[in-house]
Amino acid sequence: MVNKHDVKKRMRQLAADYIHEPQQEAYKLDDTEMMLHIGPQNPIQPGPFLIDLKISGETVRDSKLYMGYGHKGIEKILESLTYIQGLPITDRMCYLSSLSNNEAYVSSVERLLDIEPPERSQYIRVIMQELSRIQSHLLGTGEYATDLGFVTMFLFMIREREYVLGLIEDITGARITHCFPRFGGVREDLPEGWREKAIDVLAMINEKCETYKELFSSDRTYRMRTVGIGTLTKEDVIKVGLTGPALRAAGIDYDVRKVYPTLTYPDIDFKVQTGNNGDIFDRIMVRINEIQESCWIIEQALDQIKPGPLFPDELPYGRRTPSMRVPPGEAYVPVEDPRGEIAIYIVSDGTDKPYRVKVRGPSFALMQGLPPMLENVYIADVPAIAASMDSCNSEVDR
Amino acid sequence: MLEEQMDILLGLLYTIFGNENWWGPWIRGVVGLCAMGAIMVSAMFAVWLERKYASDIQSRIGPNRVGGRYGLLQLIADAIKLFAKEDLKPDKVDTPVWVGAPILMFGSALLMLIAIPFGAFVFNGTTYPLAVTQFDISILYLEAVSAIGIIGIFMAGWGSNNKFSVIAAFRNIARMIGYEVALGLTIVSVVIVTGSLNIVDIVEAQRSVVWFAFVMPLGFMIFGVSLIADMGRIPFDQNEAEEELIAGWGTEYSGMRFGLAYFAEYIHMVLGSCIAVLIFLGGWNMPGFLVDLNIPLIGLLPAGIFLAKWVLVMMFVILIRWALPRIRIDQVTSIGWKILFPLAMVNLVWAAMLGLVWPW
Repeated sequence: MVNKHDVKKRMRQLAADYIHEPQQEAYKLDDTEMMLHIGPQNPIQPGPFLIDLKISGETVRDSKLYMGYGHKGIEKILESLTYIQGLPITDRMCYLSSLSNNEAYVSSVERLLDIEPPERSQYIRVIMQELSRIQSHLLGTGEYATDLGFVTMFLFMIREREYVLGLIEDITGARITHCFPRFGGVREDLPEGWREKAIDVLAMINEKCETYKELFSSDRTYRMRTVGIGTLTKEDVIKVGLTGPALRAAGIDYDVRKVYPTLTYPDIDFKVQTGNNGDIFDRIMVRINEIQESCWIIEQALDQIKPGPLFPDELPYGRRTPSMRVPPGEAYVPVEDPRGEIAIYIVSDGTDKPYRVKVRGPSFALMQGLPPMLENVYIADVPAIAASMDSCNSEVDR
Repeated sequence: MLEEQMDILLGLLYTIFGNENWWGPWIRGVVGLCAMGAIMVSAMFAVWLERKYASDIQSRIGPNRVGGRYGLLQLIADAIKLFAKEDLKPDKVDTPVWVGAPILMFGSALLMLIAIPFGAFVFNGTTYPLAVTQFDISILYLEAVSAIGIIGIFMAGWGSNNKFSVIAAFRNIARMIGYEVALGLTIVSVVIVTGSLNIVDIVEAQRSVVWFAFVMPLGFMIFGVSLIADMGRIPFDQNEAEEELIAGWGTEYSGMRFGLAYFAEYIHMVLGSCIAVLIFLGGWNMPGFLVDLNIPLIGLLPAGIFLAKWVLVMMFVILIRWALPRIRIDQVTSIGWKILFPLAMVNLVWAAMLGLVWPW
């Protein structure tokens, strides 16, 4: 007969060993070193995570990263809701790229259902994807600028982002959580006069981005803080599984839109933006270039879009019914999120709820990329490096 | 009528600032208290100016509710809020050091007041500076007193018993050592040229067209950079870098203690700009303005010129803050020792050569 108390004690012991042994090794300090805990509720952080820096004077010697403070259990929630009910939940994974999250979910379910949206819906989805990318990059770059003490830049970026949010709001009616695509289509058509408005705004954004690029590459104080700092080599980025701008800044031209194109991306001409060195400077430059590239994509989509239906004739569910049966199978459709590759892997057992959902998000890998970079840098570089990765803390733990 | 009133006013100013009777210092002491009040008002104006100018730079509106359309009384509302807040003292702070720090910072900023002439006026063809005291080592005194504020910041960081604050405290000292040498050397070069440590003499030496900013452009640039570092503003605000160190040395301060330290920084900025005007930008002198003419109001013109220059320098300092990112502490020290210090030595040599031929 095993004593229940003993089992508990043993388990606690195991857990303690597991947690503390590697920690104690990392936390050994010599006379000149100090631990600096940043997080999980530090006012400088955009979301909850803990990073322990071993510092010696102003230099960071080592760092340990702890995540999991923002776990919302979204995968489990999705498993307990019907497919249609699950859609608004995916908005909440990352507040900056809810359209991409929606898209990842919807395209996986579409593959299970084996339906395809009509062309007009596909173009609208492409437009929404790119608008979402523009606003996310603008805010990400702006927040990063604040971390350098460059508050003016943040406000400039926010000012431009307002116009993009306005465009998104005109279509979806929401600014943050849109819940816009539907299985086999989209919720709303483009409103009247939207095209002209969008072209104006995009031209403005394009022009501003030129200014910002010039500003970032000419300002000496800024270059002192960014060039050659927080470098991730090609081997490093592949090792930690990075995707998105942080990967492309290291010089690898991997873009889901090119490699696994969905929607009407094959019909659209665009370039994958890459950097050379993979440092902070390159990551920001790649983002600004991507904003311009997105503007170009939207302009093409607006030229190519033709009038037509938003939904296919045969839908496996009624437009107003909250449930439908999905044939058994599994689907994994990657989508290019502003931060990298996002995909929602769904296993269906033929009922009206998913059997298993697993989200492959970009932000977890972005956070994993931090500790290798935070060695022998200065304390002042830590927020700059972290912000240049632009990881969404809300999506790290889902 | 106006002329008579102006004469009375100028006569009064003369009685206070121009007389060397036994009671002159006493009267000036009372005036010094008034100057203290006035400088607080001007620091409040500086806060307002910074907010409004920053919002212009960033295409925002800025404060526009309290005190009319332009938000003139916003800082009063802030001060009331700070006074009304709970006086929160964290556990395990080093109480005397922690409590003393904002007082020391504020006090050192106010101590600078007594040596600074805030403009001048003309009475019977003679220029009298509007200074509380005029003593022969006033520039040395200003340097010394403004450095005491650094100790206040160090006390705040050390006494807070907080790792972020301690890092900020040490950064502060490292930065101070980095730029204070260059700052001192540029002031010394001005002193070499004029041959006097008295700030009034230095201003009077720039009576003609040649301001020291034109005679020693290199020195002026070094002085400007060091002065911004001295004020602790971006790009040199490493000791309160919000993004890395929460609020640096001020992390544990709240309520009026924070308010005091915050206000001390602005007073420092106001007085620092003032010193820059006095030493390098000719003080109350402006070539081309004939103050000897017998026109009413002209006697106060030097004070007006001084004020205008002062505001312009402050606006420049504010512009720098909102237009640049912060640099790292190692970059500050390397700029201080590897660039500013050698250049300051070069400037010193130039000043020594200049001193041989001065005055022109």
